[in-house]
Amino acid sequence: MQLKKHAMTAISYMLPLVVAAGLLIAIGNLTGGSQITNFKNGYSIPSALTTLGVWGMGLLAPVISAAIAYSIADRPGIAPGLLSGIISYNIGAGFLGGMLGGFLTGWLVAFLVKYIKVPKWAEGLVPMMIIPLLSSLIMGILMFFVVGQPIVWATNALTSFLNSMQGSARFAFGAILGGMAAFDFGGPVNKVASLFADGLLLEGVKQPEAVKILASMVPPFGVTLSWVLSKLFKHKIYTQEEEDNIKVAFPMGIVMITEGVIPLAAVDLIRMVVACSIGAAVGGGLSMTWGVESPVPSGGLFIVPAMNKPLLFLVALVIGSVVTGLILFAWKKVPSKTDEKLETGEPEEDINLDDIQIS
Amino acid sequence: MKIVGVAACTSGIAHTYIAREKVMKAAQSLGYEIHMETQGTIGTENELTPAQIEAADFVLLVVDIKIGGRERFAGKKVVEVPTNTAIKAPTKLLQAVVDKLQAS
Repeated sequence: MQLKKHAMTAISYMLPLVVAAGLLIAIGNLTGGSQITNFKNGYSIPSALTTLGVWGMGLLAPVISAAIAYSIADRPGIAPGLLSGIISYNIGAGFLGGMLGGFLTGWLVAFLVKYIKVPKWAEGLVPMMIIPLLSSLIMGILMFFVVGQPIVWATNALTSFLNSMQGSARFAFGAILGGMAAFDFGGPVNKVASLFADGLLLEGVKQPEAVKILASMVPPFGVTLSWVLSKLFKHKIYTQEEEDNIKVAFPMGIVMITEGVIPLAAVDLIRMVVACSIGAAVGGGLSMTWGVESPVPSGGLFIVPAMNKPLLFLVALVIGSVVTGLILFAWKKVPSKTDEKLETGEPEEDINLDDIQIS
Repeated sequence: MKIVGVAACTSGIAHTYIAREKVMKAAQSLGYEIHMETQGTIGTENELTPAQIEAADFVLLVVDIKIGGRERFAGKKVVEVPTNTAIKAPTKLLQAVVDKLQAS
């Protein structure tokens, strides 16, 4: 059913909107703005920015829903997808409701497109009237009366559970989320963690987002730190090629792209995964415990000023990176001569390519 | 062997371009002619021309998401894999596809 591909398509359309809206809210709030409730009284630029950001966040459920429906059913999915999403937003089913609404809309539209047969003279009416009307009508009733409410309850239960967590539970939650986010350097496990954090952000729970940001930066910073240590103590743990990769991974890390670490992890998977996950888990646990919140889901060090506790965030980030760096420094082996040689041949992983389909 | 392809990943800023470079390098080392388009968050770059598509023996889609312009490849042999596969083992991937094509 390609569930993952449809969800990933939605995320790829959603990301720029989340970043723009989140940053607008942050800039507006930092410059003293607040959401405008009465437009007749005049308003300041900061308030306009905050308001625009809040509206942008409100567009997320419709955009997710429309993008999923588009991914499944192509163009005819967009209009009913937007409508399913706006229902989700307005009844409080948020992000989860938008995702579910998008899938249902997409499948429904694909079904209608396939099975609606009309006489030749009415063919023009199918894409222009019949499909938009039928799909919106059916999805509208479904979302209002059937699908929406359970999700509203589930969302509320999850949000209040997360908000009520205390002490060690908070640390454990942050550690699990951080460990997951760093586990595969931007791969599927990371995406699950980050989807979860993004979803909660839309419900107004902003702490998991800070953990996600931190965990995305710990691997590159930790690796860089271990390299600096290896230079300081003249204990070589990286080959020339790995050192070149680190010089690329570090600036990528500043803007929260973990993927720069992948070339390093590819040649020493277990040590890298263990070191990075532990560092990110420690940092994530501290960040949750200290209640660091981020209103913006992406942007790396540049969005730290927008957080509620920027200094504590940086402390947690440094501690996490130091943990990763020390583990790597202590655990990584001195590269042998053969390692240096092997790398130039760029070893490829063995993967199962038997089920490749040519169509 | 002539190949055209499209690379596209979820965030559209990193994997898309890593995958393109890996596949291009692998194809060149195998002596194939290749053109790869990227559909990142910035939009489409290195767009494939109709002539390139026409001349290609197969189309390699290295994608995690739905891409635009798929109808351009109607009637061609199309192979679709996630970006991860192409990043981990680009040469083996190309060889596996070519073997299958020649066997069929």
